[in-house]
Amino acid sequence: MEGGQMDINLIKKLIKILEASEVTDLEVEENGVKIKLAKKVRVNQTVALAQPPIAAPAMQQTAVTVAKTTDEQKAADEKTGLYEIKSPIVGTFYRAPGPDADFYIQVGDVVSAGTVLCIVEAMKLMNEIESDVNGKVVKVLVENGKPVEYNQPLFLIQKN
Amino acid sequence: MFKKILIANRGEIALRIIRTCKELGIKTVAVYSEADRESLHVTFADEAVCIGPASGKESYLKVPSIISAAQITGADAIHPGYGFLAENADFSEICIEAGITFIGPSPQMIRAMGDKSFAKQTMKKNGVPVIPGSEGVITEINDAIKIAHEVGFPVIVKASAGGGGKGMRIVWEEKDFEKAFQTAQTEAEASFGNSDVYIEKYLENPRHVEFQIMGDSFGNVFHYGERDCSVQRRHQKLIEESPSPALDEVLRSKMGEAAVLGAQSVNYLGAGTVEFLLDKHKNFYFMEMNTRIQVEHPVTETVYHVDLIRQQILVAAGLEADTPPEKPFGHCIEFRINAEDPQHGFRPSPGKITSLNFPGGYGVRVDSHIYQSYSIPPFYDSLVAKLIVWGTNRERAIARGKRALDEFVIEGIKTTIPFHLKVLDDPRFVSGHFDTGFLEKFNIDN
Repeated sequence: MEGGQMDINLIKKLIKILEASEVTDLEVEENGVKIKLAKKVRVNQTVALAQPPIAAPAMQQTAVTVAKTTDEQKAADEKTGLYEIKSPIVGTFYRAPGPDADFYIQVGDVVSAGTVLCIVEAMKLMNEIESDVNGKVVKVLVENGKPVEYNQPLFLIQKN
Repeated sequence: MFKKILIANRGEIALRIIRTCKELGIKTVAVYSEADRESLHVTFADEAVCIGPASGKESYLKVPSIISAAQITGADAIHPGYGFLAENADFSEICIEAGITFIGPSPQMIRAMGDKSFAKQTMKKNGVPVIPGSEGVITEINDAIKIAHEVGFPVIVKASAGGGGKGMRIVWEEKDFEKAFQTAQTEAEASFGNSDVYIEKYLENPRHVEFQIMGDSFGNVFHYGERDCSVQRRHQKLIEESPSPALDEVLRSKMGEAAVLGAQSVNYLGAGTVEFLLDKHKNFYFMEMNTRIQVEHPVTETVYHVDLIRQQILVAAGLEADTPPEKPFGHCIEFRINAEDPQHGFRPSPGKITSLNFPGGYGVRVDSHIYQSYSIPPFYDSLVAKLIVWGTNRERAIARGKRALDEFVIEGIKTTIPFHLKVLDDPRFVSGHFDTGFLEKFNIDN
């Protein structure tokens, strides 16, 4: 890096921000000095051509282009902060532990990793499905009592 | 009759089953892994359920996922196809417990024939000729050596829980026996979780001749003649034909009777195949019985004018099987088109099909799930199409085979089409005088 006019602390901050967000590439220019940062995207095991989810097209993550300032990065962050909870098994989706019980969660509820969100029943066994992330339930994607297949999106969680 | 059948399989056989279901007015449910989302059987079925990731173990072999898929779609029967769970007795039992009809024999029959050593003893007890060897499983090396001497070297040590060419060791001389015996036991334990082995005389380059069986709940057991599957590479069939050039009517009658006898002795229900080995002197020996529909079933369908999948469904629904014609009509040959490169040791060649043309015309049938721009997933077997040709006699079937293979265009991947064309030019194949050693010699020459 020439000129030495880019603050090493700023670079450290940028790296931290990049790590914490869904952004994969970052280019910053300041005082005539340009920095490019990029990180490896973790590849999902799902094969391409999956049906697009009902909401949050931002979930289809490809290399997001540049955010020049931290503010813009925060905005990009929010857009990609929606997390899909998917069914790990084939079965029937139930929002409550029993026919007369209350639903586990409602839209707007705050949940943490490990909170039980629903049940997927398969072969008479009730499988509790837990949240993978901390956040707020933004949308329920399946109607109560409907069948679900493997990896079918069930909920959208707004990550913290 | 069933209202809805779930096909617990993929690829060409899933398509095959769906087609007959449609003709019978039965609704179909396809199951698929994420890697098969774009597969034709998913499109052709009335409903489809994604049951897991690409890995076979996590999808097509995952019993809870399949049963659950049947339950959420309300399927009243499951057709397992071939491979995967087709001969899994536990799966067939779970289907019964879940109130779903398994289109195939009972768990007891699957277990009985799945235990190769037990199957052999059962056949022997019922007067079916078997390959000389041990009476059941041998655990002591000294007993094993004694038997090897009795039947005479070369012998083969075979895993009882194995089959289809897996878990076997050929021993040519006594000095190699002990090591081979122990290795076979260890391998059997590792592959099948069962170290039981038995000893058999090893027949050098026999012909592989199998009989198609159909049994129903009225006590009928029919045979639909034979298929000669001697063109094999490492015990994997590449070309199958009916009738066998090695059989005349007398031998067919004898072998057919033995096959029926064997199936009757276990009150067989559904489609099955009794495999025999035929030695140079036209002696036949029971090898094993497969309790499923086989890949090469179209060969029998062609010369005996039968829809075997339809027969399976009828029988499973408690109806009577149709009586087969007395003899085969004409000659039929099937070529397995695999996504493999014959120039490089038949190594798998998955990829995207950029250009495709199926052959057609009189006497040509193609069973395949591929289409132009389809990407063959690398996770499953390499069979992409079966080309089945018929002629009034073997010579004409061969000529038709050549013509059809020439028309068969598959680009973007390597296939065994050029290999099949070479075989059809080989004088040994054309003569009809060949055996399971044919392909080895064939490769050497090329």
